[in-house]
Amino acid sequence: MTAVPPSRFRIPAPEMERIRILLGRDPNLTEEAVFSALWSEHCSYKSSRIHLRKFSSKGPRVLMGPGENAGVVRVTSRTGIAFKMESHNHPSYIEPFQGAATGVGGILRDIFAMGARPVALTNSLVFGSLRQPRQMTLFRRVVAGIAAYGNAIGVPTVGGEVWFDERYAKNILVNAFALGLVDEDGIMSAVPPPKPLLAVYLGNKTGRDGVSGAAMASRSFSGGDTDLRPQVQVADPFVGKKVMEATLLIIREGLAGAIQDMGAAGLTSSSVEMASKSSLGIEIDVDRVPLRDSSMEPWEILLSESQERMLLLVEESRVERILDIARDSQVSAAVVGRIIPEPVFRVRKGEAVFAEIPVPFLTEEAPLYDRPTRERAPSPSRPSLLHTPSEAGRHSIAELFHRLLDHPNGGAADWISRQFDFEVGTRTLLPPGHDVAVVDLREEERAVAISMAGFSHPLTRDPARGAMLLVAKCVTDLAAVGAWPVGMTDCLNFGNPERPETMSDFVQAVGGIADAARRLGIPVVSGNVSFYNETDGLSIPPTPILATCGLLSDRRSVVPGKTALAGLSLALVGSSKDLSLGGSYLDWILEDPEPGPVPLVDWETLGRLQPFMSVLLSGGRVRASRAIGRGGLLRTLLQLVSADQTLGAALSLSRLENPLQTFFSEAPGRILLAFEPDHARIVEQTALEFGVPCRTIGSTAPLLWNIRYQDREGRAKELSDSPEQLKRRYAASLAGQMEDLP
Amino acid sequence: MPSRHRVGIVRFPGTNCDLDTWDAISLIPELEPVWISHKDRQGEDLAALVLPGGFSYGDYLRTGIIAARAPVMEMVGSFADRGRPVLGICNGFQILAEAGILPGTLLPNGGRTFLCQEESLVLENCRTPFTNLFLPGTPVTLPIAHQEGRYFIDPDQLQEIEKRGQILLRYLKNPNGSEREIAGVTNRSGNVVGLMPHPERRVRTLFGRPDGLLFFRSLALHLERQNSRAVQPIP
Repeated sequence: MTAVPPSRFRIPAPEMERIRILLGRDPNLTEEAVFSALWSEHCSYKSSRIHLRKFSSKGPRVLMGPGENAGVVRVTSRTGIAFKMESHNHPSYIEPFQGAATGVGGILRDIFAMGARPVALTNSLVFGSLRQPRQMTLFRRVVAGIAAYGNAIGVPTVGGEVWFDERYAKNILVNAFALGLVDEDGIMSAVPPPKPLLAVYLGNKTGRDGVSGAAMASRSFSGGDTDLRPQVQVADPFVGKKVMEATLLIIREGLAGAIQDMGAAGLTSSSVEMASKSSLGIEIDVDRVPLRDSSMEPWEILLSESQERMLLLVEESRVERILDIARDSQVSAAVVGRIIPEPVFRVRKGEAVFAEIPVPFLTEEAPLYDRPTRERAPSPSRPSLLHTPSEAGRHSIAELFHRLLDHPNGGAADWISRQFDFEVGTRTLLPPGHDVAVVDLREEERAVAISMAGFSHPLTRDPARGAMLLVAKCVTDLAAVGAWPVGMTDCLNFGNPERPETMSDFVQAVGGIADAARRLGIPVVSGNVSFYNETDGLSIPPTPILATCGLLSDRRSVVPGKTALAGLSLALVGSSKDLSLGGSYLDWILEDPEPGPVPLVDWETLGRLQPFMSVLLSGGRVRASRAIGRGGLLRTLLQLVSADQTLGAALSLSRLENPLQTFFSEAPGRILLAFEPDHARIVEQTALEFGVPCRTIGSTAPLLWNIRYQDREGRAKELSDSPEQLKRRYAASLAGQMEDLP
Repeated sequence: MPSRHRVGIVRFPGTNCDLDTWDAISLIPELEPVWISHKDRQGEDLAALVLPGGFSYGDYLRTGIIAARAPVMEMVGSFADRGRPVLGICNGFQILAEAGILPGTLLPNGGRTFLCQEESLVLENCRTPFTNLFLPGTPVTLPIAHQEGRYFIDPDQLQEIEKRGQILLRYLKNPNGSEREIAGVTNRSGNVVGLMPHPERRVRTLFGRPDGLLFFRSLALHLERQNSRAVQPIP
């Protein structure tokens, strides 16, 4: 083997120097490989760690917080939900099908490593414009990849989000969320007990696929990166399912002391991280690792990101049983090392030692950066949008509404969701197409709701306020089905942290999320940071994606997000204090060069909305409920009546100061309700009781889409449309581009 | 109380609707689900068999082809030959077709993508052990969730199964390009049934109708009747 120059693993020069000082010598090839992985942004969080401390993971329900494979929150007297979200952006851009599939596989392993059986998946996808054939292919293949893994392993994909925006063309985002159920007594940890333990490898054999994936995900792309294909991992959901069942059985039988999945930086990070958590060392013999290709070098074995692999730390007496289970499940397993008392990471190949590094050098001593920040030039905001006829004058409300519906961003996402098996497991109470996904716990009549929020446009306008908006949106979504927020996970997708502007966005966004979550008492129990979403010097807009889990105390009171019934009363509840359009979908469509401000959240009313909705829904008086979301009131109303092709609505509004805001504002904290007219009084009374503004605005009506209002000057205005035609537009804007077959 | 009828649920590696099927059968007081492994060769004490959905052996090579050659299939074949009730759902249907126990085959969907959605269907053959509670022409709503559900059979055989009334149910609106909207078929003697939609996913639901429950209730009725009439071949 010839000496490989240091640049081989792309460790920056100052960090190479630091490694030399720590070791007191030059690292050899294997050691350098190990450093490159564990000191990568992906594994070390070196640019984000100091800022992530702002998140609070404390809460009475929290059973496991950050530092584990996933966070766990108690939801019944004996069961917890384990959940986490992760990005797979870089691999999905290079090989969309495998990149997305392994993203799903990876997040599922994080969940079952905790002893939790996965019961729900969701995803958040962001691409460039579909007008480009390359984006079309990426989109098609990412969706197919997620479907291939989730459907085959038998975990339903119950919800998600999608967004198309030119600025992501070279850096698509593929974020996957998974949720599992675990007995409180059966929670597995990644922190081993202080005992002499053996390291048992379980799962797929190790190959060259994905060697150095973590390092790849920790830098920007450039035009010449055509040689990255071998760094993408290959998914095998069939083996994934066998590994999942075997792991859950091993945990159920109490055979393992600690478990971690071999994700980024594979064997290296899983072994070092587990050893480090109990201040011990670990010795790995690469000769014992089950290999697909026996010619692999030690450093390749260490860095391989072959999928469907777990690392278990177990007592010697349990090894035999574990190997039996593996044999029964037809997956590979082998003892590949052992925990050692001295805190050293030692890699052997038989007798020969290939690496010997003190564990703290790889973890605590890893670089930690407080990178410089510089605020972007603030996008000029003018309060004039509140009053001017600027956009309103140029476009009619009806025309704007059509434009919102005609863009794939405003259309129905059925083309995506019907490719996912969203029902396997038969726990799905609300499938895709409603406001949030709701999953049955089958225990104490409870259910869990999952809300995803990842709309970046408000953050482009104002990172801190925009981030708060995302949290408020999640909480509103959950309130719409009567669910209490119990925990949050995030995936923070940003550009190059070495750019002060990006870093400034990051710091502000983290601050905004942390602040909002704290105000609402939502613990942030797990998370993930994806930096370097940058190509040829162009970064993506700041895009944190949040998933918030909510608890429904009675699954029977769950309310759908759409109805087929005519003659229901419609009411708008929640705060209308600040309906600014800055950062809204309308703002994005119009590309307003001088947008309005991003709305401020009315925290007080938002806090009252939740108990109000719980009480109202438990009375069984509401037929459908939907948070005002993307596109504002009109688009939300269209979705609310979407259970029947011909159903529409008749609205009658009083004088509107600003019709644009009324119809298109996405300010969170507002919910649209549909109920039998008989219940109007009780709805209004309950709202009054809780101090939540409530306004009856009209009713659902067959074959009719009619909205009457008065403008500022008191002139009567009327919007009329055919509900069928609106729904055809809504249905066609995404699907119409994707379907090439009759 | 008379002992319950034991219904074997056949599990292959990669089967993933096994728990849902177990759950559905458990809801019927007369039925008792039991697990059958892909390696099992004995099924004498069973009253019926169900092959649930999923991705047996990852659906690698071709859907159902590896499972059709698993040791348990010999038992499934002779069980079917003796006129006992066998139900294949989704991947289970694909396996039964691949094993030659049911006519025809299932090709990739016309649109080439996985499809998970509710379908309106019409039941045609209501003489089978799994549909005797329905009337011919009954509309039912059941979900599909498959990538290879396009029913295909050569024209001669198609005519024959049409003539013999082996079409179990048809889609109202063809989602996947199946021949003659076929969503499920039976074997010649009607004791083996395969369908792409998932009845086990509609046995209890907060919204919508539990149409799937009737398939399992039908089985209970069939087995009870058979008991009272002693063992008789199915007409």
